[in-house]
Amino acid sequence: MTITQSYLNNLMASVGYFAPEIAIVVTFIVAILFDLMFKKSKNIAAYISIIGLIITGFILSGNIGISKSLFDGLIVVDPYSTFFKFLFLITTILIMVMSLSYKELYDNNRKVGEYYSMLVGITFGMFLLASAVNLITIYLSIEILSLSSYVLAGYTKEIRRASEASLKYVIYGSLSSGIMVYGMSLLYGATMTLDVAKINVAILSGHVELFPIIIGGLMILVGFGYKMSAVPFHYWTPDVYEGAPITITSYLSVASKAAGFAVFIRFFKDLYLLPATSDINIWNTISNFHWQTIVAVLSVLTMTVGNFVALWQENVKRLLAYSSIAHAGYILMAVVVMTNVGITSILLYFVFYMIMNLGAFFVAQLFANKIGSDDLKDYIGLGYRSPVLAVLMTVFLISLTGLPPTAGFIGKFYIFTAVLDKGFVWLAVIGVLNSVVSLFYYAKIFRNMFLRSVADDTKNNFKFSAPAFPLSIAYVLAFATILFGLYFSPILNWAENSVTMFK
Amino acid sequence: MYLTTFGIVLVFFIVGALFVAVGLFTAALVRPKNPTPEKLRTYESGEIPMGSPWIQFNNRFYIIGLAYIIFDVELVLLFPWSVVYKTLGWYSFIAMVIFLMILIIGLVYDWAKGYLEWDKPNPVIPQLNELIIHRKKVNKEN
Repeated sequence: MTITQSYLNNLMASVGYFAPEIAIVVTFIVAILFDLMFKKSKNIAAYISIIGLIITGFILSGNIGISKSLFDGLIVVDPYSTFFKFLFLITTILIMVMSLSYKELYDNNRKVGEYYSMLVGITFGMFLLASAVNLITIYLSIEILSLSSYVLAGYTKEIRRASEASLKYVIYGSLSSGIMVYGMSLLYGATMTLDVAKINVAILSGHVELFPIIIGGLMILVGFGYKMSAVPFHYWTPDVYEGAPITITSYLSVASKAAGFAVFIRFFKDLYLLPATSDINIWNTISNFHWQTIVAVLSVLTMTVGNFVALWQENVKRLLAYSSIAHAGYILMAVVVMTNVGITSILLYFVFYMIMNLGAFFVAQLFANKIGSDDLKDYIGLGYRSPVLAVLMTVFLISLTGLPPTAGFIGKFYIFTAVLDKGFVWLAVIGVLNSVVSLFYYAKIFRNMFLRSVADDTKNNFKFSAPAFPLSIAYVLAFATILFGLYFSPILNWAENSVTMFK
Repeated sequence: MYLTTFGIVLVFFIVGALFVAVGLFTAALVRPKNPTPEKLRTYESGEIPMGSPWIQFNNRFYIIGLAYIIFDVELVLLFPWSVVYKTLGWYSFIAMVIFLMILIIGLVYDWAKGYLEWDKPNPVIPQLNELIIHRKKVNKEN
């Protein structure tokens, strides 16, 4: 048997497990083609994309519980990646459904076929990113993810702030990915392999220069930190989140961030942690270099800066952008401990974060449809004008703060448990103090909605609500937020079973 | 004398630089000197450059450039494929057909959107149509 034939056999054996990604690509192509063919029906790409992604979900459920290396170790399929893939799928489908009722997107008779197919493209990039274990695959999938997000951030291109957001995103993004790819080249230069597991073996063998590996790791951290919008790599976040269409903002704040965390955890766990080690010294593969401290400092900086800058925000989108930075900080807290309990709590938190954050942005979008503004000032009196939406918004905000009986409380509770479990009391104390700070600015929104009314301005006092279909989605999300605050054991079980990574 | 592989490259660079420098220096010593304006131009027998180079290019060049990449990528991957085609047989044939189909869909997209037509009958001048949100902000600042 020749080399090519054995390679071919490997390829054939892998294709079956790669079926979800193939289904996404097919969805992408079919959506584009149908959008070209049926020019009269505006939303055909949206419907095809949603149906395609639901089918992908069914195909993906065949991969549950499978742990396997594909394509000569370029990507892996394991419970960890499958969990994130389901998260990405659900987020994308929800965002597509929400986009259908977004006024700004459909203004000016805009063609929206590319918008939906680009979302499918992002999903493909994130799928690869969640299962990438090779430096080249990691880089390529981050680029697939980024390029589509650059376009989507500026999709409403006549609006100047959207174009500005897109341009800033491209510039910051190319800088950080340039730094990241340079770090990867250092890792490759020091160990002569692109496979993350083999780099780990090389480090453990002790025959490699450690200096380029440390510097390379720090540079790669820049690239991942950019996707996670961790301080000090967060500068793009507020501007892009404020300028981009609100659906894309919520998409970036949930899915793109989750993808960044997925690859960050897997990469550093595979690269720097001793295989099959006890929980105690897992960060100390390279002696005298404290990754744990670096990530802990990153976490403290991220949540503190995010929360304190959010206090001064006058724009709801921008406020939620800073709040999403703060949430990245809470999640990084659990990355510090990197135990199975920690990763479980991260997975759990992402499910809840997806529900409550998408919900908050969605209600903000429904408000913007009616009042044409995202400013905190224009939210005054909305509690009287649209009681239903305002109450829904309050539910999501309470959950984002982390008060019981909402899902956000359970998520934070598990993260703090994991952190305290490993004895990081100072980190947990800072986290709790930050949660207290966050209550202030979330409360600013519902104080404006309920406790201040505009009596004299009769023109602004008409009542409104949202159409039935978007409203029902908001209801479902709010219901899920409260339900998972009271009954969450299925999600917890699922997360606990999903911490296994392929080794 | 012991030289590593990179040392040989370094010696090559030094010798190359010396070769050019010595040649130019000797030529400067020996040759007659008689500059005319025509000789000093950037392109001695070409067009005289006019105006500022800082003009804006039509961004349709960019789209044509992207369309070119479709064929470029195709060609780069067709060469190695044709080498192993005989050993791999039908599998590689089908794989390549799928790959080419995906690329051709890119071309079809360009075609259907009218990006391949250079002369557009009605040029659409983009207009900045600000939403209320932005206008409000500007009014506030004023």
